[in-house]
Amino acid sequence: MAGSAGAVQRSEASRYRHVLWLLTTRDLKVRYSTSALGYLWSILDPLVMSGIYWFVFTQVVKRDIGEDPYIVFLLCGLLPWMWFSGAASDATRAFLSEAKLVRSTKIPRTIWVFRLIAAKGFEFLASLPVLAFFAIAFGAQLNLNVLLWPLAFVLQTILLMGVGLVVAPLVVFFRDLERAVKLVLRFLFYASPIVYASSNLPPAFHFWAAFNPLSGIFSLYRAAFFAEQLDWFYVVVSAGMALVLLGVGLVVFRRSIRAVLKEI
Amino acid sequence: MPAPAPAGAPVISVRGAGIRFRRNRRGRRNFKDLFAGSSRRSRPGEFWALRNVSFDARPGEAIGVVGRNGQGKSTLLKLVAEVILPDEGTVSVDAGVAPLIEITGGFVNDLTVRDNVYLTAGLHGMARADIDARFDEIIEFAEIADFVDTPYKHLSSGMKVRIAFSVISRLEEPVMLVDEVLAVGDRAFREKCYQRIEELLAGGRTLFFVSHNEKDLRRFCTRGLYLDKGALVLDGPIADVLGAYNADYHPPKPK
Repeated sequence: MAGSAGAVQRSEASRYRHVLWLLTTRDLKVRYSTSALGYLWSILDPLVMSGIYWFVFTQVVKRDIGEDPYIVFLLCGLLPWMWFSGAASDATRAFLSEAKLVRSTKIPRTIWVFRLIAAKGFEFLASLPVLAFFAIAFGAQLNLNVLLWPLAFVLQTILLMGVGLVVAPLVVFFRDLERAVKLVLRFLFYASPIVYASSNLPPAFHFWAAFNPLSGIFSLYRAAFFAEQLDWFYVVVSAGMALVLLGVGLVVFRRSIRAVLKEI
Repeated sequence: MPAPAPAGAPVISVRGAGIRFRRNRRGRRNFKDLFAGSSRRSRPGEFWALRNVSFDARPGEAIGVVGRNGQGKSTLLKLVAEVILPDEGTVSVDAGVAPLIEITGGFVNDLTVRDNVYLTAGLHGMARADIDARFDEIIEFAEIADFVDTPYKHLSSGMKVRIAFSVISRLEEPVMLVDEVLAVGDRAFREKCYQRIEELLAGGRTLFFVSHNEKDLRRFCTRGLYLDKGALVLDGPIADVLGAYNADYHPPKPK
């Protein structure tokens, strides 16, 4: 008469994926069902941002950074940046925003963080038509390097997992971190090759810029339109940094989760 | 075993479990503390909510957890639900758990009842096909057939609890945890919930039941755990446990 007799026995991995999928789609469903513009919001933000930078750097000041067409160059950095900054700032609320659910439901605990990365990742994918539109409108040539996009996508996911696993549990104890993360993100926006290319940096910075993991990742995205933006040194350092961060994240997360669950 | 326990390997095995909490939960630490060195971070204001708790639960047992407020009853249930982890000792649960703890917690205000049912049941590990098969039953039990496509936030608080109970109690998990959730809701629905719990018990589920209501405890439980000041004081037949609890805190009134 065991109760589990009828229940379908599923493997750990498939249960993990199932729950991750449920929570990710829930977030997206909530976002799209509560706003009239829905999908438009995921593209409106990068559109306005890139519109501003396009105006400033092509119409106001004489620009000698980036590549032409500038709007395509810009979007190649801006869209993945939106994913990065969106997921990183959401990670600060990973536990706090779902306190009741965390208190009552046992699921693999890294999912509280990874669902946010996945949701923002889907929004990133959903915003790619914007890039396609401008690439066609401004006649940017796609090259074979576009095959590197999955690599960029994977590297960025690993990087975000590392960042999220560090930030999410620590914010529970140090609320100040929430604001600190916002500040760091604002700094990082200009410290990353988004409005400019890494090659535009003064030579003295060239080496150190590699240690911003976003440099390598953005160089991969950009290589699809601008082959000379591909810099394997940056990519390799990025990959290394992302993996190290993931390792640190896993350690921090494992050590702090016990206290996090008590605090929630 | 102190209680007449059904045979079989234990589904829940708790060994020397202890968990401590900060006394001052509002006192958030900040960056200053982070960099102030370990001496300032050694936490003096902590207390053991539970300590040295050991017991086994076998399939089909119905266990009532008794104790005054703040003696660790809910904490014990949360340990068994594995939504918190012990600081010392082990809690191993070898079967799926249907936790009736903060049951409305997983429900999302902006989604419809239908979406919420699929979401909550899914989060607790029910496969989509199983939910499809039980969906009508769940809605019927909660008596909210007219509100299936209404956003959850528009339900009355009674309806919210009803649908939540209905979903969790259909999880078909071998272990069931009930934490005073049924204090809400009207009497007719509460009776229905109790019948459902009895049904599940008859089906061989293991039950953990936290309540202050002696009548309910006697109705469902055969075995009792008496918690006092974070320690497991007595583990025995429910009548003995209630007797000991009453002797400690409710001396019999002179007739």
